[in-house]
Amino acid sequence: MKSITIPSLVIEKLQLKQKDKVLLSLDEEIIGGQVLTIMGPSGSGKSTLLNWLVGMLPSSFDATGKLYLNGADVSQISSHQRHIGLLYQDPLLFPHLTVEGNIAFAMPKGNKQDRLDEISDALKQVGLSGMEKRCPQSLSGGQQARVALLRVLLSKPKAILLDEPFSKLDSQLRQETRQLVFDEIQRHSLPAVMVTHDESDAIAAQGKVITLDKLI
Amino acid sequence: MLSVNKICQHSFAGFYKALCYLLLLLIPQQALFASESQSNAAAMWENIEMRGTQQSVYFHAWGGDQQINNYIQWVAKQVKQQYDIDLHHVKLTDTSEAVSRVLAEKSASNHRNGQVDLVWINGANFASMAKHKLLALDWADKLPNFALTNPENNPAMTRDFGVPTEGMEAPWGQAALTFYYDSLKVEQPPQTLAELLSWTKQHPGRFTYPKPPEFLGMSFLKYALIILNENQPDNIKDKLYQAATPESEAQTLPALWNFLDELHPNLWRQGHHFVANGLALRRLSGDGELQVSFTFSAAEIPSAIARYDLPDSTRSYRMLDGSLSNIHFVAIPYNSPHLDSAKLVANFLLSPKAQAKKQQTSVWGDSSVLDLSQLSPTQHAYFDMTEKRHLSANIINVDNTRLLSELHPSWSAVITKQWLARYGVQ
Amino acid sequence: MIVANTFFTRTVRTSPMVMIALLVVPVLGGLLGVLLPAFGWFPALGATEFGLFGFTELFATPGIERMLLLSYGTSLISTLLAFLITVLILASYFNSPWLKRIQRLLGPILVIPHAAAAIAIGFLIAPSGFLSRLFSPWLTGWDTPPDWLFPHDPYGLSIILGLALKELPFLLLIALGVLAQPEIGKVLKQQHKVASSLGYCPMTGFFKVILPSLYGYMRLPILAVLAYSSASVEIPLILGPNTPPTLAVAIMQWFSDVDLSLRIKASSGAIVQILVTLSLLLTWWGIELLVKKCSASWLTNGAREHGGMIIKRFTDVITFIMVSTIALALLGMVFWSFAGFWSYPNLLPDQFMTMHWQSALTQMQTPLFNTLVIAFSSTLLAIILTLLALESEQQSNKTISAVSGLIIYLPLLIPSIAFLFGLVWMFEQVNSQHTYLNVVFAHLLFVLPYVFLSLANSYRRLDPRFSSVAASLGASPSKIFWQLKLPLLISPILIASALGLAISFSQYLPTLLAGAGRINTITTEAVTLANGASRRTSAVYALMQMLLPALFFILAWLTPKIFSRARV
Repeated sequence: MKSITIPSLVIEKLQLKQKDKVLLSLDEEIIGGQVLTIMGPSGSGKSTLLNWLVGMLPSSFDATGKLYLNGADVSQISSHQRHIGLLYQDPLLFPHLTVEGNIAFAMPKGNKQDRLDEISDALKQVGLSGMEKRCPQSLSGGQQARVALLRVLLSKPKAILLDEPFSKLDSQLRQETRQLVFDEIQRHSLPAVMVTHDESDAIAAQGKVITLDKLI
Repeated sequence: MLSVNKICQHSFAGFYKALCYLLLLLIPQQALFASESQSNAAAMWENIEMRGTQQSVYFHAWGGDQQINNYIQWVAKQVKQQYDIDLHHVKLTDTSEAVSRVLAEKSASNHRNGQVDLVWINGANFASMAKHKLLALDWADKLPNFALTNPENNPAMTRDFGVPTEGMEAPWGQAALTFYYDSLKVEQPPQTLAELLSWTKQHPGRFTYPKPPEFLGMSFLKYALIILNENQPDNIKDKLYQAATPESEAQTLPALWNFLDELHPNLWRQGHHFVANGLALRRLSGDGELQVSFTFSAAEIPSAIARYDLPDSTRSYRMLDGSLSNIHFVAIPYNSPHLDSAKLVANFLLSPKAQAKKQQTSVWGDSSVLDLSQLSPTQHAYFDMTEKRHLSANIINVDNTRLLSELHPSWSAVITKQWLARYGVQ
Repeated sequence: MIVANTFFTRTVRTSPMVMIALLVVPVLGGLLGVLLPAFGWFPALGATEFGLFGFTELFATPGIERMLLLSYGTSLISTLLAFLITVLILASYFNSPWLKRIQRLLGPILVIPHAAAAIAIGFLIAPSGFLSRLFSPWLTGWDTPPDWLFPHDPYGLSIILGLALKELPFLLLIALGVLAQPEIGKVLKQQHKVASSLGYCPMTGFFKVILPSLYGYMRLPILAVLAYSSASVEIPLILGPNTPPTLAVAIMQWFSDVDLSLRIKASSGAIVQILVTLSLLLTWWGIELLVKKCSASWLTNGAREHGGMIIKRFTDVITFIMVSTIALALLGMVFWSFAGFWSYPNLLPDQFMTMHWQSALTQMQTPLFNTLVIAFSSTLLAIILTLLALESEQQSNKTISAVSGLIIYLPLLIPSIAFLFGLVWMFEQVNSQHTYLNVVFAHLLFVLPYVFLSLANSYRRLDPRFSSVAASLGASPSKIFWQLKLPLLISPILIASALGLAISFSQYLPTLLAGAGRINTITTEAVTLANGASRRTSAVYALMQMLLPALFFILAWLTPKIFSRARV
């Protein structure tokens, strides 16, 4: 029995298969604040792994093994009830909502004014104060990435997945944003899984690195 | 060489046949007219025949009945053979479409190259075209075959709903209001207007009539109007055959509205919806929704049975208190570019051969307008063919009821307007 | 961008103007042709004084308020219904294999002409129809058809059913078409995934994330549907009440009434029809604003679960009812086309026979020939114009302006009944002899917008680097067009052609009016026969109307496959 108090993400005896062919096997435990980095060429099953983690594995794949989140088995729980946040290379901000709306969308229900205050605070912390009413398309790439990060964090996830999160940023911005993301992960003590191509991302994450081989 | 010879022979035979046929057509004229005017008329007709061949004729005629369409196809073949005329049947859903077309052409100053060469017409459509001067004048009574209708003794041939035709249209056929019912479902069909009223009370929802101004629906209303005013003094009854006036309306119409007020609650859909035309009546009869219905072309009933559109047990009859009857015509618009060809076709439509063919139940079943006593024995022979008929083709009461004449056309507009005001919005 | 000055590029450059002119001139000219009589100018009737008596007469018509209300109500409710069900289906089956299945089931409905659909639905809901037979006499006790409301009910419910069933597949396929575009669909799907990872149930995620973006792409097609249904003639004519009918049907009847002075009233009616359509568009816009305003705080309130399961069950039921309604209507029509006498309440015809097909097929040759000639001519013209206009877009490196984009929709947004009568008058002024040409031209007005809309996306999406590579290899613009773009786009071009053909096949009013009634097509025959006596012949023609476009869609779909296989 795992401890419930420490936030953790446990991948237990996972085997991902496509038509009886094993794509990858994994058995890992990630403690809150740690980042597990997965590297490998395209076609090595990285995105299949992410899909399995969020519960959106396409029906052409089979999986055995279990996923525990803070000690609870979530393997059979549908994706929207898992509370696993996702951060993509594209910020994917909703174009019909303002910056504030995008973040409010992610937050749990609650008193309206409290939520707005929380958003303002959060924006201030990442250097975006006063941008509440802006529409996302008017922000720079780095700003959008920060809003996307806030959106995930303020949704109070129990774990976070990073899918090539910095690959579309130029190198200066990339370092800053990367640092911000990892700091926040530590601060919220979230277990994280990062998929990346980039060696420097893996080094900056300072966690365990697993390199997948191309199978086909 | 041999084949060329054959062709020559063949075309010569065709020419010879046509010549004989022409001579045949001229015989009754010789019997009727004095020799000088006769030769004059014959010469004029020869001119028409010369000018009218090898052209196209666009015949605008209602196209909702396959039997009639097939008959027109037959006519097309005949005039092709006889005059090398290409007769195109332009199928209308409503004759007024042709009226609108000619009017549109007139408004665009197209006075020579109209699209309509011949139109099947009568009643209000004719009155309207005549009023707006959209028809060619003074030709129908010059057709050689027109004399066969015996117009001197048969005034109906030169009057369309009481309006003098003045040579603007040639008669084509005649029809009388005929009722039909499913003998398996109805034992005793209503045979007078009064019986119809009490029958609908016993069988609510099983009878209706098309919404005016549709022709058949209007005919039912006119039949009712005539019957309901039957006991009025003659001077009032006669007003139905003259242009309607506020006075004559007040004298005759209330009886109709009282009757309809009583009839409508027991009609199909409680009189809230009225069908578009007689074909819809026939369809509803086939579906079993209606049990008693009526039509102007009695011959459609056996043919509908043959196509399974009506049950085999359908029988037809005429009302004992009278049957509204009218004549339908063909007219030529004033701007037809093929005037002479159209006349040739109109004349052919009046020929004993075409009229006899049309009268056969298996073809169309539309009564001939020719006066059989005027025909030569050869011409008469066309009418003597017997055919095997379905029971529904024997119209009950056909010999022991009278034919009712059409009202003056102004009544149609009056009845429609007041009907729509009373029952048009429900 | 520097473009060579050759015959090809000059033709391409002028093509958008030609296309716009071909759409604008007839529509505006046609409108003028009803505007003058509407205000009393009709020299052929001796009316040469401007005045409002046409309108006075119009508003004195008994039941005019009911006509207006019926037109307004049926089109608004049917469009709303079709839109809501479309959204429900998308929301419930988003990311589910059922969406593809429903698309496959409903797709073919799109190519069914309105007249045929109305005939089929009429057969289904009539008192002696398939539905009533299905439950009689064992449940209802009826052994003769009941005297019930449908079709032709005074509230227009039958019209709403007919319109909604016809509009729904169109809206659904439009939405799916948007989602199938990689740059839009992929992003929306990822955003949906994000919402899901933020704890939103798929249904709520759809409503809060996908719908607001998707709706923007659907707005114009929805307005076109709304405009079309407010002035359509076939469905209200075949399914609607006639005491009184809808305004559009009444206008058509006045235009063709024996009493020629009614033409002025009809023209005034056409103007009022445009106002009705306009007010519908405004109403829709108003509803849209209202919903946007009311839902603004709901979108971001953080609520993640809104009875998704209940909505899903509800949608399942609706979808089932809808699909079985369509299936029963079609089945009933097939039965009628093979039926001998079919007595009530038997579920099956008393005998089956092929007589109706045989006799109809022998009489169908001329109309079939006309249908094909006109459809192929107008579609070919539309495809050529569209390709040239799209090529000119790429050569001048900017998309057609917003105004021109709207003009393409013009014939779809302005009620056709309002400008077609005027158009015929215009044809009269120009030439009255070439009826075939007139009909092809009138069809083009309706075929061109659909072909353009269908092709534009694929053409604009074609990777510009192909052209750059080819140009750097020394290929001229015309060579790039003929030997690169067209072969690459063969599939969408064939699909657009099939769509164009289907649109042309289904045209009733334009064929009838521009053809002066001389040109019979399968559709004009079918509508004529729908008013006729024989359900059997009518069923044969309606089925034929469905089979024709289906055949060409299958061809368009199969041809590229066969060719590509041949290449391998």
